[in-house]
Amino acid sequence: MDIRELVLEQLRTVIDPELGINIVDLGLIYDLQINDGNIYILMTLTTPGCPLHDSIVGGVKRALEHIDGIRDVQVQITWNPPWTPERMSEEALRQLGYF
Amino acid sequence: MIPTNTAYETNIRLPLLFIVFGVVAFVAAQAILLAAGPAAASGVFRLPSIWAAAHLAVLGFALMIAMGAMYQLVPVAFLTPIWSEQLGFVQFFITAAGIIAFSMSLAFYAHVALFPGVLLVLGIILFLFQMGMTLRKQAKKNIMTLFVGSALLFLLLTILFGLTLALHFWSGNEAADHLFILKTHILFGMCGWFSLLIMGFSYKMVPMFSLAHGFSMKLARYVYVFYVTGLIVTFISFFQDGRGPFAAGAGLLLTGFALFAYHIWTILQKRVKKKLDRPFQFALLAIGIALILHTAAFLLPLSGNDHGMAIVIYAYVFGWIMFSIIGYLYKIVPFLWWTHRYSKKIGQENVPTLKQMINEKWTIVQCILFTVSLVGVVIALTVSSLPLFYAAQSAMTLFSLFFASTMISVLWK
Repeated sequence: MDIRELVLEQLRTVIDPELGINIVDLGLIYDLQINDGNIYILMTLTTPGCPLHDSIVGGVKRALEHIDGIRDVQVQITWNPPWTPERMSEEALRQLGYF
Repeated sequence: MIPTNTAYETNIRLPLLFIVFGVVAFVAAQAILLAAGPAAASGVFRLPSIWAAAHLAVLGFALMIAMGAMYQLVPVAFLTPIWSEQLGFVQFFITAAGIIAFSMSLAFYAHVALFPGVLLVLGIILFLFQMGMTLRKQAKKNIMTLFVGSALLFLLLTILFGLTLALHFWSGNEAADHLFILKTHILFGMCGWFSLLIMGFSYKMVPMFSLAHGFSMKLARYVYVFYVTGLIVTFISFFQDGRGPFAAGAGLLLTGFALFAYHIWTILQKRVKKKLDRPFQFALLAIGIALILHTAAFLLPLSGNDHGMAIVIYAYVFGWIMFSIIGYLYKIVPFLWWTHRYSKKIGQENVPTLKQMINEKWTIVQCILFTVSLVGVVIALTVSSLPLFYAAQSAMTLFSLFFASTMISVLWK
């Protein structure tokens, strides 16, 4: 499996416990860069000051750190641009009863 | 895209301490109210045991829970950490000791209530200082800051008027303005402190729990202006005997609250999460109850029904303030415990969702029991029926035990 796909698969194990949906399907990942075993992730949360801030950021690091060949994981949170529901996958919208 | 790395989480032991104390005080208050049945059912509310129960419910439960929730929510809503967690723990123990001693003195030694009252006031002032210092650090003030900041100011006024009442008991000299001070104490405590606080935080929690986006916040400033003007006009009306000025104040409060209810409805129309969690629905139901009670508070003085106003005050405390708090506690306690137990396991192993931390079906039963009990007590007080009061208040006491056990059961998840 391609390293990028492997990273995304691991990120899908990190759920937002309030919604029960993983952070990839929620559309929280804005940018993912992988260079020579170093991962940089720029992501957001569904609301500024989300009380699950530390839990989710920590979860992202833990989910990726044990992948073979990964040396360092950097996670940055941004509120700009703010998250919007349009970023969610169809599956996530279905889980929330949107359809 | 601009990266920012900011975390605002509070040590969960701090809010949990306040919440556990609050839940225990709630059960105690219900049991005392049950014992005070004959007096309450006949419309006699100014009794030592009822004062003790009322203060245990309002201070021990509602105030302590509000404080605990603020230690958790202020960093979330205002993006600023608590000024001093250590001070938070000191403030908890002083306030808790003050509430226990003050409630007991109201029941048995009302003439010396001033002394534990001073301890209680010290605890609340430490809390106000803590929140003042925390909000000062907020980089970008918003309408929620205005709601919560004003609520804190009204809390200060409430305790100052309360302390004046305790001073009257101690001196044995009920001054001519005693009733004016009592009315102001109740108005500022219920509408100025609790309502403004719940309304302010609702603007954060309603979009957060419903995943609402793209709504306007413009209406919030009109809500604030009408509601605070209503508080001031109602306060001024206490200087006079006529019913007209009071009705004008109550009318402004009703207008402000009706705008708030409409605003929340418009926010919910923009939600992505179509199926809302049950406990959150209960907190929303409380808004509907408060709207009815604000309407009653506006209409009753026009009909000259003073006994009815006492019942409206009871229903407002339980049906709006406590029901909102109970609804949100079903969300907040699982979140706090989840953070403690599973925050470090996310990304490593399967962790439960917050919904799985609590038996939602059981919360539905509890909230139906609460609503039926509340309606039963209100009817019993209205028709002065002691048997109905005993039945309804027993059901309310049973609810408090179920509620306490549910909160505690989360800690075993």
